[in-house]
Amino acid sequence: MTTNTVVNVHNLEKTYGKANERQYKALKGLDFTVEAGEFVGIMGASGSGKTTLLNMLSTLDVPTKGDVVVNGHDVTKMRGNQLADFRAQEVGFIFQDFNLLESLTAEENIGLPLALKGTPSRVMDQAIHEVATTLSIADLLQKYPAELSGGQKQRVAAARAIVHHPSILMGDEPTGALDSTSARELLDLLTTINQKQHMSVLLVTHDPFSASFCQRILFIKDGQIGSEIKRGEQDRSAFYQQILNELGTFNE
Amino acid sequence: MLGKLALAGIKNRRRDYLVLLAGLTMSAAIFYMFANLATNRAFLKANAMVNQASIIFGFGAVLLILITIVYIMYANSFLLSMRQHDYGLFMMLGATRKRIGELVFLETLILGAVATAIGIVLGLLISQFLVGLLLDMLGLHLAHLSAFYLPAIITTAVLYVGLFILASLFNMVRLTRTTVLKLLHTDEQANQPKIHPFRQMVAAVLGVAFLGIGYWALAAIKTLQMTAIPVALVTITIGTYLLFRATLLVIIQGLRRTKWAKRHLNGFLLGQLNFRVYNYTRMLTIVSLLFAMALGAITVGSGYHRQLPMMANSIGTYTVAIHNKNAQEQKLIDQLNVEHQATYTQKRQGKVVYYNAAELQQQPFELSKSAQLAKSLKHPKFYTESLAKFKKNGIQDFDFQSLAVRQDMGFYTPKILNAKQFAKQKGTTLTVTTVRVKDLVQDQKVLKQLNHMEVKRFALPEQVTVGNYQSYEMMSGIFGGLEFMGYFLGIAFLAMLASCLMFKILSGAPGDKQRYQMLYKIGVRQNLMRHGIAKEIGILFLIPGIMGVIDVLFGLQMFKPIMSSPMSPYLGIGSIFAIFIGLYAIYYAITLTLYWRIVLPKAPTN
Ligand SMILES: Nc1ncnc2c1ncn2[C@@H]1O[C@H](COP(=O)(O)OP(=O)(O)OP(=O)(O)O)[C@@H](O)[C@H]1O
Ligand SMILES: [Mg+2]
Repeated sequence: MTTNTVVNVHNLEKTYGKANERQYKALKGLDFTVEAGEFVGIMGASGSGKTTLLNMLSTLDVPTKGDVVVNGHDVTKMRGNQLADFRAQEVGFIFQDFNLLESLTAEENIGLPLALKGTPSRVMDQAIHEVATTLSIADLLQKYPAELSGGQKQRVAAARAIVHHPSILMGDEPTGALDSTSARELLDLLTTINQKQHMSVLLVTHDPFSASFCQRILFIKDGQIGSEIKRGEQDRSAFYQQILNELGTFNE
Repeated sequence: MLGKLALAGIKNRRRDYLVLLAGLTMSAAIFYMFANLATNRAFLKANAMVNQASIIFGFGAVLLILITIVYIMYANSFLLSMRQHDYGLFMMLGATRKRIGELVFLETLILGAVATAIGIVLGLLISQFLVGLLLDMLGLHLAHLSAFYLPAIITTAVLYVGLFILASLFNMVRLTRTTVLKLLHTDEQANQPKIHPFRQMVAAVLGVAFLGIGYWALAAIKTLQMTAIPVALVTITIGTYLLFRATLLVIIQGLRRTKWAKRHLNGFLLGQLNFRVYNYTRMLTIVSLLFAMALGAITVGSGYHRQLPMMANSIGTYTVAIHNKNAQEQKLIDQLNVEHQATYTQKRQGKVVYYNAAELQQQPFELSKSAQLAKSLKHPKFYTESLAKFKKNGIQDFDFQSLAVRQDMGFYTPKILNAKQFAKQKGTTLTVTTVRVKDLVQDQKVLKQLNHMEVKRFALPEQVTVGNYQSYEMMSGIFGGLEFMGYFLGIAFLAMLASCLMFKILSGAPGDKQRYQMLYKIGVRQNLMRHGIAKEIGILFLIPGIMGVIDVLFGLQMFKPIMSSPMSPYLGIGSIFAIFIGLYAIYYAITLTLYWRIVLPKAPTN
């Protein structure tokens, strides 16, 4: 493993259900890596184990077997507070359903990860201001989530996910609840973040259009990596076509 | 089928249901006990020596009914908050509103009926044992108190079942009127309350003014008489409400702008409080009032209990006066912790009682300074005068005169003769021994025997010589009812107010569950969440607590006329406050534990 690897997954297995109950093997030995600064997509049919995989990577759930190393931390060996701290420092999250706290303003929502770290308020204001400008939500900061549109909420969520400079940004269908324009804006943003801040991005999606923004796509089938395609030097529309083709053969 | 599903939903949350059922049961039990006391005519007649007592019982009953209504309202909203998601889901799956309405109606009613039934039985049992225990502890004897009293059972059952039918109807209407979407998304965003500086200022000023009027009314109860209480109740309620409305938000939003708010979960805490407090204003107002009433009732009750002997011991100069003491009585006197003792020979003839100057010279009769002069309450100043002075002033003293009471209840006119004349004087000869003990409570048992004997040995008029002990017994009888009411209502109010608050807070738990799930995802430590919740709920408990204590401190003014000096409603309130706050803290701990259990995300395990 080189120092440039942000995620290293080896022989990852996940079985749901206790030993004496009915069990379901969602992941059956997964191997892959994500390099620093990479924009990787994960696709697969519904129920193929995408969310399960993301939960393992982000320590929201524990694997049954195998190793997960994120930015040098062996996730499977962590316990209690270590897990929470790991999530707070190394991982940025964007969920399909926004997951903003409606009792806090956009600004307070964005600042939350920094507050948890105990960042001084001046540094915090600075960081919030910066990220808000990058995502062009500076004029929304004082609003509450209830006063924002879906697309705006998702941009605020993205801001919260990156404000503390995590080593990897993960999204589980972040465009799922957005209309096509908002989805496109968000994907452009993710690309910008990926390129300007060299932040690794791991995007789970079933939508080929969203996937076409990635540099590399892993296809999961039956709890394993079925295949993998790379964008290389192609432009996005060509890559989009390639994804469609791959999905066609993949689903056969 | 739907019924089965509903049952499954209840099973999943059986612990929450148990809490709800326990709370409702307790409330019904308390109500039964009070109804038993308040409606039991035989009991009232035997004990309500003072006219005021029956008024106070009536007042207490009205309060208890009001509180019960509020209580059931909050318990019901807790029930609804637990169920609406399930029912929303059933509706989405195609269950008709009518069917859902029936289910909700039945569920609420069954729960209520079960709680009422268990509650009455529990109330019966508690009446049987606990009330007796409480009375024993207070050293009171209340005649004709029976645990089983049919009219009380009927009253309780009718009130509770009636309230639950209303609650069921309310739930039915509520569930069948609300859209499915709203039911499913119970955590709908509360509108963020906005601050209007001008309105806020006006509200604050008005609030303080109302509170001022209320506190003044309580202090001026002597002039306002019975109107003081309703006036104070209304103005303090409005005042507290306005004050909360005006200040809490400003404080919270002010805090949100500070650096402190940007550390750890503080901002989240303030955000939670911000829209909580606004929704809770009414609730917090009610709870603060209940808190005040409960604490006030207990403080006054215990004040009587502790201060009565003290007051009694300073009424006159002797604790007991014994005429012609016999050997047995002498034995009892020897057991006492005597502070002052004297024996005088009396010769009674016509309307005159003669005393021997030599005896009075040797052991002068003690006199007491009036209460105002005697600054120290615990040790009223006793003093003696020279015989010459005593012949002029002291001889008129009430205590001295009542050593010899005539058949027609008037006093013999006391005359002091020198030893020679006294020896020659004809008349019925008696001795009277006056004893003052150091501590009336300590010697209570022996004093009781002594007093009992004296009263038995003599028909009127000798038994009319009332010493401090006998005054104490009489006053205990008079104030016993009041005192008991104080304790009883105090405990009942505390139980209800704390569970009102508990249910209100727990009603918000399902919505909070998602918020904490989210915090968990972004990496908030379990401990931090625990502390955050503890603070949030702690503040919600603290606000009405503080307001309640302030209310009590002013409200006790009301009892000044009844607890005249040397008693004072403020004496020794520290320990009572401490005990009360301890009980309140237990409720806080229970609420917190339940909240943690509902809200905190569980760490994954393999
Ligand atoms: N907590 C759980 N207990 C038992 N089985 C589970 C659990 N979570 C997921 N599964 C099962 O594991 C499999 C993978 O689920 P997962 O949520 O990872 O799918 P997904 O790829 O994210 O699907 P989608 O695209 O629909 O979101 C599914 O068959 C699902 O039924
Ligand atoms: Mg999924």
